[in-house]
Amino acid sequence: MSYASPLDRKLRPFSARQISQDLFEKLREENLARWPTGAEVDLEEAADYHRSLPDHKRLPWVLRQAEAEGRCLTQPRGGFGTLELQIELMQALDKEGLADVVPTTTDSYTRNERWEQAAMGITESEKEGRSMLNGFPMVNYGPRRTRRLIEAIDKPGIVLSGTSMPRLTGEVGYAAGFTGYLGSGLAYVTSYTKEMTIEDGIRNYQYLDRLVALYDEKGVELHRRQPGFLTGTNIPPAIAIITCVIDALLAAAQGVKSYGLEMGQTLHLIQDAAAIRACKDLAQEYLKRAGFDDVSTPIISLHWMGAWPQDEAQCAALVSYGGTLAAIGGAVSVTTKSTHEAFGIPTPQANAESLRTTRMAVYLARQIRMDVHPEFLTEVDLIKREVRPILDATLEIGEGDIAVGTVRACEAGIVDIPWSPNRHVKSTVMPARDADGYLRILDPGDMPFDKDVLEIHAEHLRARAERDGVPFGRELAVSSVYEISEPLSRLVAGHSADEKQPAITA
Amino acid sequence: MTASPERGKRTLVTGVIGSDTHIVGNRILSMALEDAGYHVVTLGALTPAEDFIKAAIETAADGIMVSSLYGQGELDCRGFRDLCVEAGLQNILLYVGGNLVVGKQNWDGVEQRFLEMGFDRAFPPGTRTDAVIQLLNEDFAKREADVGAEAR
Repeated sequence: MSYASPLDRKLRPFSARQISQDLFEKLREENLARWPTGAEVDLEEAADYHRSLPDHKRLPWVLRQAEAEGRCLTQPRGGFGTLELQIELMQALDKEGLADVVPTTTDSYTRNERWEQAAMGITESEKEGRSMLNGFPMVNYGPRRTRRLIEAIDKPGIVLSGTSMPRLTGEVGYAAGFTGYLGSGLAYVTSYTKEMTIEDGIRNYQYLDRLVALYDEKGVELHRRQPGFLTGTNIPPAIAIITCVIDALLAAAQGVKSYGLEMGQTLHLIQDAAAIRACKDLAQEYLKRAGFDDVSTPIISLHWMGAWPQDEAQCAALVSYGGTLAAIGGAVSVTTKSTHEAFGIPTPQANAESLRTTRMAVYLARQIRMDVHPEFLTEVDLIKREVRPILDATLEIGEGDIAVGTVRACEAGIVDIPWSPNRHVKSTVMPARDADGYLRILDPGDMPFDKDVLEIHAEHLRARAERDGVPFGRELAVSSVYEISEPLSRLVAGHSADEKQPAITA
Repeated sequence: MTASPERGKRTLVTGVIGSDTHIVGNRILSMALEDAGYHVVTLGALTPAEDFIKAAIETAADGIMVSSLYGQGELDCRGFRDLCVEAGLQNILLYVGGNLVVGKQNWDGVEQRFLEMGFDRAFPPGTRTDAVIQLLNEDFAKREADVGAEAR
């Protein structure tokens, strides 16, 4: 099974350097020939279409406006298996949900580049009159028909395709008129794949980032976005930010100018605000240090990415609180989930309703900021002290090349991802929630954090172990995995040890 | 924990079957099994049925613990026992657990389907690691007793 372009691997030594124009032409030709609709991609025509879009349908512009006005936008997720259903969904999210940014999530076959199977999924969905796919099979529809989605809404569209193989979906999505695309090399390969190498993941996203630079050369500004939520399982801010900065440096090297950074919520008011601030500062610090002073890096806050409760009332609290966290933290946008999260894909109405719940929460928090709160400032400082040694070691081991450094750092465990299914990271780093509700690092694995920083983490985690009467060890990490999704009766009512023992399905 | 240290270490193969990346619960189960005194061979996420069986043969495993969270477990687990029998693992203990089917379905029906497929036990979402380990210990003890009875 090939995960990256064989031509790319043959012709380009692995590095962060921008792919040359000549080589990129060859790579595009190879890529677009992989499925018949690839032939419909006409870059000049697509660039004309993009230039014809009003500002409010262009994501980089919309994000810049929001940032300037101090607003927090709302954006859901969502994708169905046919064009008709997807149009209805996007219109519902736009009109009923008042979404500021309208998504198209692709289905799992598309994410894995199994377009024959996606074709069968479309046929089955049409036959059944309901979506048999868990997203929109964008490549099968091709850019011309997919453009009807953009024409059906009055907001910018973003492609959400949780994949390490974005090359063709990216071509189709941008050519169709989407102005944003979520995904990145380091984050997705370590979160969604098992065998794929970090190098192949990075190569695939270098292609997409290079494509965005090509549009930029034609006067079309497009947005790229990094999924810092990673495995969605108790990711401490420092680890998310490390991947955000690495992927941002890789994107900037290809020529991307608008690069969003996503932070999954920890559900701690102060830690989430501190994470947003630290991410913003560190991304700009490292970009500037690498010579990129014109890359905007808006921070997007994501509703809880771990397991959700089955009870819709419990979910409603997470949805609403997630809006509060994003707004108070100063995020430029919040990506929402819905009260149906535990059951899979929400109906358009449930999705729209959770958008409005979030929007109201954002509104309520509109004037509240953490900026001078002492505990906030302490946490911002701590996160920065966590992130820098790891990034510096990664740059050093790559001898200045962030692509090479990232691969080596993952091998050496310098960069590590908790709960990763991928074989090419150690995944020995282990997070847990401390006595005050902050996510901390229980076991650093081989990540070279400073000793005094680790001691702060250990101290807070020991306090939890003492309070809960459990040993200081991985039981802390395990119970932290389930402490949001369990029924209320188990979360707050019971106090016996039996009732608090976690379940094993997440 | 419910470890019985006097027993020789038994070997268990764990993994998440099919195209499923949900590794967290499976990893927690694997850690708990190790703590309970088992030797655990972890295959991780995205594991084809054939790989479970290959690993079980290579490590002379006593049992296979299959996880599935993404709803397609029913498809992925079809014929699993037959594959074991073909490979000469007639008596290997087979457990399966997780969100095994698409959507919300009655658990009794789901369990029945997986038992008919040849699994010794099936576990619903929300199962505790201690509950699994207790049944595992009982099932192995029963097997030892049966073997002892036959020998007498």
